[in-house]
Amino acid sequence: MPSLHEILVAALLLTGTFLMVLTGIGLIRFPDVFCRMHAAGKAGTLGVVLIVLGVAVNFAGTQQDVWLRGILAVFFQLLTAPAATHLLARACYICEYPLSERTAVDELRGYLPSRPDEVFNQE
Amino acid sequence: MSLFLSVVLKLCLAALLASGLMCLYRMRIGPKAADRAVAFDTLAMVFIGIICVLCIQWDSVLYFDAVWILMLVGFLGSASIAKFLEKGRIF
Repeated sequence: MPSLHEILVAALLLTGTFLMVLTGIGLIRFPDVFCRMHAAGKAGTLGVVLIVLGVAVNFAGTQQDVWLRGILAVFFQLLTAPAATHLLARACYICEYPLSERTAVDELRGYLPSRPDEVFNQE
Repeated sequence: MSLFLSVVLKLCLAALLASGLMCLYRMRIGPKAADRAVAFDTLAMVFIGIICVLCIQWDSVLYFDAVWILMLVGFLGSASIAKFLEKGRIF
């Protein structure tokens, strides 16, 4: 019979891994780059945070305690991942990457300068 | 380590590997540069997960510092690609 400690670790790891698999499926299935960023930016971040917390819980109370490093890694990931995704989405919108044809509302139209890309904007 | 936890670790490794393969597929087909950048960022996250699972499997925190380095590399990679797409140069 697994102990409560192991059940907690397994629950954190399995939830994080499930979110990472959802991220991969979203990367393949979603129609345009902004939807893919939606999948990678939210589910991926939460998945990594849960897995790192699982490691920190697993080694808590033993000789090799990583609570501080784990918490700092979680903090760092929560700080940098939204910034990176936001920068990339803004750059994509400025470079006029095509939206999905099922897009209903484009509220950003006319607010950002447009700069169609010469180098990378080819198929 | 109990049988329960080792089975869970094997399951997590297999699922993370599948997720990494999906990211690689998107890097292969993804029509433009930003799709590949997103896939690279996600692949760095998948590697972080694999390192964490292997830390538990090997009962050692020697490789836990690689988590930091992969987070930094993922963030810097995404930010510099975004800068380059937006302005045509990085600095």
